[in-house]
Amino acid sequence: MTAIVLYVNGQTRQVDVDPATPLLYVLRNELGMNGAKFGCGLGQCGACTVMLDGEASFSCLIPVEMAEGRTIKTVEGLGTTQQPGILQRAFIEEQAAQCGYCIAGMMMRAQALLERNSSPSDVEIRRHMAPNLCRCGTHMRILRAVRRAANRMHDV
Amino acid sequence: MLVAVALFWAVALVAQPWHTAIAAEPLRSITRFDGALVDHGARLAALGNCASCHTAQDGPPYAGGVPLTTPFGTIYGTNVTPDPETGIGNWSEAAFKRAMRKGIAQDGRFLYPAFPYDHFTHATNDDLNALYAFLMTRQPVQSRPPANQLYFPFTVRESVAVWNLLFLRNEPFRPDPAQGVEWNRGAYLVQSLGHCGSCHTPRNALGGEQRRAALQGGEAEGWYAPALDAQSPSPLPWTVGQLTDYLRTGIASDHAIAGGPMQEVVASLGQASAEDIRAIAVYVTALMASSPDGNQSRATATRRRAAQPLANILPAANDAQMRLGAAVYAESCAACHDQGRLSSSNSALQLPLAAAVYEPDPRNLIHIVREGISPVEGMPGRWMPAFGGSLTDEQLTALAIYLRRYAANASPWLHVEKVVKETKK
Repeated sequence: MTAIVLYVNGQTRQVDVDPATPLLYVLRNELGMNGAKFGCGLGQCGACTVMLDGEASFSCLIPVEMAEGRTIKTVEGLGTTQQPGILQRAFIEEQAAQCGYCIAGMMMRAQALLERNSSPSDVEIRRHMAPNLCRCGTHMRILRAVRRAANRMHDV
Repeated sequence: MLVAVALFWAVALVAQPWHTAIAAEPLRSITRFDGALVDHGARLAALGNCASCHTAQDGPPYAGGVPLTTPFGTIYGTNVTPDPETGIGNWSEAAFKRAMRKGIAQDGRFLYPAFPYDHFTHATNDDLNALYAFLMTRQPVQSRPPANQLYFPFTVRESVAVWNLLFLRNEPFRPDPAQGVEWNRGAYLVQSLGHCGSCHTPRNALGGEQRRAALQGGEAEGWYAPALDAQSPSPLPWTVGQLTDYLRTGIASDHAIAGGPMQEVVASLGQASAEDIRAIAVYVTALMASSPDGNQSRATATRRRAAQPLANILPAANDAQMRLGAAVYAESCAACHDQGRLSSSNSALQLPLAAAVYEPDPRNLIHIVREGISPVEGMPGRWMPAFGGSLTDEQLTALAIYLRRYAANASPWLHVEKVVKETKK
């Protein structure tokens, strides 16, 4: 066990864990942030996607010690149930979730794109979102939600 | 300097007689092409991967516009659809063959050797006829690629005359009677339409291939194009079967998964004739095999190492960088790559077999870890997540150093940190 300081959603949090623990487990079990999900544990599905220093990253593949001192953003950082963020609102409006298991990861991957490029083309959205999978098959709605969020961010 | 430039021009002017225009031949006068010939041409165009330079991303097929970054400036792939104004619609078969063999356009202009006519010059009449039939039956597209941005003196096309004098060997392929039909077909394709040497042969300062180092390893878009001769980095000898699979699918379970520029080549080769790809594999595996005995003992040792879990090796505790590399490997790579932990698709390469960790520099390994591998759009293939967003440069450097030591068991790479910086997009 080692004390590790994490910077998550603008807050400094200290955890006492095995430094090799995947970041995903620490977020869920130590910090109670259950947005990011365990899907495959192999970086093949994207359910665990969070943002690390602005980039979409698979939190199941990142040992927590390697996230120390870096800026972590999870879906909890995008808004609340009462006040959903722009991207979250767009997902609700497009009814992009079916079972919802992939959605937190989808949003964090999309957020990484929109923070870098607020007016992506449809092709850019598609290419960027490719690593994240949805088994219900709501990909088309998800793409529409990202488009909607991009348009709104651009208008703001 | 002035003298050098003057000399350059003198040589350029004297070296090569002026090429005249070949009379424009409007497409409508060409009656029709035999379907089988067009199909043959399509397979050859796939084998030569013409589209990589002549089809822009999301652009119409063969309408040009692909930017090629060279040490001499940026050149744009030309429109080779049969559009009479902006493509090659007015080119007779003779004009097309002259372009392929001598690098001279229909109107007599010199073409730049980014177009690998130094390879195509060896192509047979039959194959060029088929390619011509294929191109002339494409959808004509009116589209002019952007103007080239070259540095002086390369802006003047006549400067290419010097290059041709130095590097163009305008002669047909000569079969080796001591070898079989398949070997000879493979040799012909590698040297001509396949133009493998364009990437796999090192180039000199003038951009010419170093003839004495043919296929000894070159460069493509910041990736190392591995040696295809006895210096092949792969610790297990390639077999014809594995190389055929690799060239057609990008997957060779004992060696590599195609990445970088080779991915696109493979996607194209998959559309080529299966017999031709096998012939290439026959020829290249023959080139690679030098001392079968030496290869065999190395192969046995590698297989033994690949059977051990890599993550179990505990690097010296006082080497912080090696420990970091081991930690990155254990947490980010081992779940898929390590023996005994194979899961899910059950198909990740065992890294002691992976060619990338044996190459003379870490460029390809770093590219693959950082960018991952995703199949060419619309094609099936292996997928590996990109770790560029997860791993810092320091972690990536440590991982490369660790893998070089514990996966390849080879002497350390020099300047890993520098390569990590340089390969950053």
